[in-house]
Amino acid sequence: MNPTQPIATTLALLLATSAAARDWTTQAEASSLRFKGTAQGEAFEGRFARFTPSIRFDPAALEQARFDVGITLASADSQNEERDGTMKGSDFFDVENYPEARFIAREFSAQGNAFIAQGSLELRGTRQPVSLRFTWTEDAKGARLEGKATLDRTAFGVGGGDWADPESIAHEVLVETTLILVPGTPAAAQ
Amino acid sequence: MTMLRNSPERWGWFAQLLHWSIALLIIGLAVVGLVMGDLPNSPDKLKVFALHKSVGLTVLALVLIRLAWRFIDPRPPYPATIPPWQRRLSDLTHGLLYVLMLAMPLSGWLYNSASNFPLRWFGWFAVPPLSGPDKAIKSFAHEAHEIGFYLLALLMLLHVAAAMKHHFLDRDATLARMTPGLPPPTAPDKEPA
Repeated sequence: MNPTQPIATTLALLLATSAAARDWTTQAEASSLRFKGTAQGEAFEGRFARFTPSIRFDPAALEQARFDVGITLASADSQNEERDGTMKGSDFFDVENYPEARFIAREFSAQGNAFIAQGSLELRGTRQPVSLRFTWTEDAKGARLEGKATLDRTAFGVGGGDWADPESIAHEVLVETTLILVPGTPAAAQ
Repeated sequence: MTMLRNSPERWGWFAQLLHWSIALLIIGLAVVGLVMGDLPNSPDKLKVFALHKSVGLTVLALVLIRLAWRFIDPRPPYPATIPPWQRRLSDLTHGLLYVLMLAMPLSGWLYNSASNFPLRWFGWFAVPPLSGPDKAIKSFAHEAHEIGFYLLALLMLLHVAAAMKHHFLDRDATLARMTPGLPPPTAPDKEPA
């Protein structure tokens, strides 16, 4: 046996492992992207059924981390036909002209046992800085990301004009996400 | 002077208050309910809907109080001049009016619940939903609310027409004894046969 072979094999394995550990594939059924708003003084919740997270993350290599998440706005569902119709209409998301929102983050930092992804969200043709605070737990099978971000809907022109009144619909919207991730690059994102 | 409780000749003032306040609220609900669906989508539309819902729940509470009061303070007997068949028809109409006065707010409340809209009574407190979000319940409740509206409108017209007939044609005290400040008609033009 060539004495250098075990070293080469180990090296190759290490490289493969480190490359695989950074890119993740989201398990769509187990993951979710949710929003919480307040209308007429009452909280309501909804979710985006379709979103495509492209996640590169290693807690030990934050400088290489990168999130790129596409969100199909027409998949917004708060289990309320009338509200969902209004939300997708021209006064709010305007899905006909802006079918997708996109969150991109390249700057990551650790804060206690959580992380902050400083990025930007493009929504309804407007790009604004957005920070996602998240926790990251990893085991042999994969990783779990629990994240939260707070947005001001009016910064994106979501609900302007008569709808801008915060008494009617609060400006602040809480976005929460749970991603169940397995190692490896998603084939669909290539 | 009208007493709180009913007398053999007259409805007490509490029964009159409930009767007329419910009547006015129902007419207001009907008018708003008929036009509010066609309003352009705006925060004001949400406010109008919220108002309709709060007033509807108020009517539900008043109708329940009214039913309870009927047991506490039984209704005055029909004027002696009213024949048995009219009494039976009147009992039936009033029974149906009560059923609809309950069914309308309940179906509205159910419709709102199944549509997954929150509900605050005049913005004061949260009213619990009667069901979770559910398309089938939503469409059933909407149908019930709509059909109930037409039935209630029909019965109210019948009720008003009967009151007018008793007041102006029969010239009995049916309307006067439920109406504050309305004197009973003077003696009938013709003696009953």
